[in-house]
This record gives sequence, structure tokens and C-alpha cells, in this order.
Amino acid sequence: MELTAEDQALLDGAKGPAAARAMADLVRLGEAYDAPDMVDIGYAHIHSGMALYQGDVELMTDLADAGAKVIVPSSANIANADLVNWQATGAPEALFRLQSRAADAHRAMGSASAFTCTPYWAGHWPTWNTHMVSIESTVTIFCNSVLGARSNRDGFFATYAALTGRYPRFGYHLEANRRGTHLVRIEAPLETISDWSCLGFHVGAEVGGGVPVFEPPPRRPSLDELDALGAALATSGGVSMFILPGLTPPFADVAAAFDGPPPPALSVGASDVAEVYARFTTGPGDAVDLVHVGCPHASMEEMRLYAGLLDGKRVHSDIELWVTTSRTVRRMAEEAGLVQSMERAGARVISDTCPMSCHFARTVSPDPALGVVPPPMRAIVLDSAKQAKYVRDMIRCDTLLTSAEGAIASAVAGRFVPREAGP
Amino acid sequence: MREVAARVVVPGRARGPALISADPISFLGDVDIRSGRIVGELESVANASLAGTVLFFPASMGSAGAWRFIYQLHVHGTHPLALVPLGMPDPSVVQGAMLAGIPVLTEPALPPEDWLRNGDPVEVDGEAGVIRLLREEGLP
Repeated sequence: MELTAEDQALLDGAKGPAAARAMADLVRLGEAYDAPDMVDIGYAHIHSGMALYQGDVELMTDLADAGAKVIVPSSANIANADLVNWQATGAPEALFRLQSRAADAHRAMGSASAFTCTPYWAGHWPTWNTHMVSIESTVTIFCNSVLGARSNRDGFFATYAALTGRYPRFGYHLEANRRGTHLVRIEAPLETISDWSCLGFHVGAEVGGGVPVFEPPPRRPSLDELDALGAALATSGGVSMFILPGLTPPFADVAAAFDGPPPPALSVGASDVAEVYARFTTGPGDAVDLVHVGCPHASMEEMRLYAGLLDGKRVHSDIELWVTTSRTVRRMAEEAGLVQSMERAGARVISDTCPMSCHFARTVSPDPALGVVPPPMRAIVLDSAKQAKYVRDMIRCDTLLTSAEGAIASAVAGRFVPREAGP
Repeated sequence: MREVAARVVVPGRARGPALISADPISFLGDVDIRSGRIVGELESVANASLAGTVLFFPASMGSAGAWRFIYQLHVHGTHPLALVPLGMPDPSVVQGAMLAGIPVLTEPALPPEDWLRNGDPVEVDGEAGVIRLLREEGLP
């Protein structure tokens, strides 16, 4: 791989030992993928340091202790506790204390402590052709597809890129890989944000690591629907990028989105969408412990939607309703009076974490000294295929998948309310 | 002794019994860190333990949290000794393997089901870029 004089100086320790180690590992990564050289990155969405995994917070505190600093705008991914109001989730205080050490490390390194899977709703909005890195698959696909930035599905090395401002040129950083591989025709009526989530889950399983191109849908999807689509595509498949010609950059029509003639279209009908709802609807609808909305972390518009659905209602006394978002959007929603109104209705507004990312998960490995005990959980009502998949895998309880409207109605009724199926 | 060439992604050497998954793996969700067992809905390797194996799998999928689960398997000593994805895996998988010091070879010249069975002793040689079957052919 061709390195610049600045790259070589970083390797040689000009910016300290943490940056030197980061650069060495980025060079190894580039060699693994036959990258010709490195690119300058303009944004990094990096690891939070997760208190539910042994030695994981230390990955971040060790860097901070070594004097590491991020040198590009950086945001931290979702964490294992709500650091704004840790009692809201019933987390043990020791878990909150450990998670707070990761937050301190981020402050010391100069990264914005967003602690969210949707940093774009919190103001981190990379633009067209900005090279970037992301440790969160939802961020990778949103930024590649909706914003036209360039990102791979990274792991911990996203942090290394933040410390050096550099990343090897391979994968979705290369123009040649940003073309369609599959053509999708939407024949299902898509009424709600969750319908787009189920569409994404179905298509992701079909295309694996490909780049699906969607024929023009009947109406322009909202940003929240595009977010739900991408998050689910990245969950059931390994999708990094989708293309809606004319709606997402840069291709104006289907033909331009392919390098060569488009393949035959894969049709997605109402039954395919219904099948995803059915797959994640298990167990009886009258044994529900938790209703969750806000996966990926809610946007301001979604906060407005939830608050509207809860207006004049009251959450059933047998059920908890969780609305998860970023701390930034939570503050915006407080300014607008939405948090207060949802809390008056009995909802819990939670930031920095979510059900699958908090101490409810059973596939984690916390230090026994933290006293983490996942509470018993019969079933969770939710409106996101991504959350449903990982709740099943990590919390290992029943899921009941519906729309946001159905989820809020479930919380009020105290039992599962399925989505209203489209025409 | 049979040798099959493969592309080196993460250099290193390891020996262990082959475990062959026909299903793509999401390391976040499909694997229990503490036991190293497959807990996801993967028919071909249901309930199998990854610990100490040379893991062949068609592709990685799902969360970019894969790196963290590979690293955690290493922290708990339940990790596979080498990874052999059939195509280039997600960068997250490679980054996890680099952090954990687990060799990764990809694109083997022959698909594993053509020359390997589960449990066969294999050596992954990330210096020479080959995978070796450590038993005489024709023997059980």
C-alpha cells in the first residue's frame, strides 16, 4: 500500500503511541483488502465502550489514558445504560458507573458523546462523497444511501480512523462498488414506518451483501422510512448501501444505477411484508411486559408521532412503554414539550441505550461484580424488525411486531394490538 | 496430505478440527460468548461450539458488532482458532480477528464440503496461504 509522508510519520510515532498503533492496524487492514492507499476521512462514528462486555470499556479508557485524541468530527455509538437517567431502565448503579467511565474517555479524546445509533438525527450529517467510518451498520447504510457519503461496515478500527483521520481505500470508498447488484420492485402497499422496516428485512435476506436498487415507489418515503429500511436491510443481510434512483444520490434512474443492464426485478408483495411481521410475532398477546418504540433511535419527527399517539391516553398499569432516542433528540423533544407529555401519559423516555443494548440482554458477559441480572421478560411489543431480531437472539423472549401506532395502542390497552394491514 | 490454497486476510497459523457452516453467520446474535456455542437459527451448525475449531462459513451478515463478539470470544477463551469465510468478510469481522489475533484465510480454491468433513483436523497456514488436511485421504 502506498503511504504518504504524513502516514509514515504517524506510523513512526509523530503523533504519539496511540496514533502510531492505530495507523499500524489500519495499514494491516488495507493490506488485507488490497487497498492501494489511504483516504482522508471527514467523519467517524466510533465505539462507545460497552459496560456489559468484559474489558470493553477499557478499550476506550486505555486509548484516552494514552493521550489519544480524535482529529475528525466523531460521535459515539449506542451504550449499555442510559447515562442521562440511569434509573429509568432499572439498571444496577455499578453498570452506570462503569458506562460513565467510557463517557469520560470520550470527553477526554474530544469525541461528541452522542451515544446513539442515529447520530444523523443528532446533527452528524456527512455529505455527498465524504469518506467516513462507522461502527454501526445502521449508520453505514444511512450515510451511504441517503446522504451519499462513503462508509464500510467497520468494527473497532473506526476508532483508529478517528485518531488518524485516515482509512484504507477499499469497499464502499471505491466508486466501482457503489453500483446496484439487485433490482427490487415494490408491489406491497407500504403504509407505516414499520412496513418499510419489514420490506428491508425481507430484501436483506434475499440480497445478502449486495446493493439493492428499488424501482420508484408509489410515493416518496420519509427520512424515517428510509432509516427503517436501511436498518433492516443491514440486519437480515450484510447490506451497506441501497439505491432509490431519483430519490437518493447520485443516480437519476434505474438504468444509471447499474454497471451494465439491470438484472430481472425481484418482486416484493404484501405477503412478503406480512411474513416478516408474522415471523416476529410469537407468543400470546396478553402476556406482554414491555412495549418499545424508537429503533433505530427516534428522530424528532418520530418523537412527535409517538407524543401525538399518546395524547390524552394513559399507559396500562401492567406494562412499561419505552421510547428510545439519542440524548440530543431527547433535549430537542424536551424543548418542544414532547417528553413531558409522553411521561405524563406514563411512558419512559430513555436515551443512550435500548432494550437489546441494555442489561436485558442474556448473551453479554458483564463482570460478575457489576451485579447485572437480566429481569424476567415474557414478551416485548415492538415496531422494528431490527430490534425484533436482536431481542429474539439476545434477550431471548417472545416478540410481537406491529406498527408504531399498534405499539402505542398496545401500551394503552395492556395487550398486543397488531398493525392495521393495508388494502 | 491435501493442501488447498487460500487468500490470506489476517496472517497467522492454527490447527484444529474443522467446523463447516452452510449458513451465513451474524457473530452478534448467533453466538454465545461465554460458551462459544451457536445459539442462532443456523441449521447446519445448530448448538455446535466454535471454541478451538477452524470455522468455515459462507459469509458474515447482520450487525457490524461482529468484531466485538469475535473479540469477546477471545477474552473468554471460547474463540475459533481460525476463520475461513468463503468470500471476503465484512471489515468488522476482519477487525475483530485482528484485535483477537485470530488468523483469517478466505476464497479457498476448493469449497470445504468437497474435501472436508466436520471434525477433520486441519491446519491453517497464513504464511504459505494454504489450508492443510492433517489426515491421510481415504481414512475415516
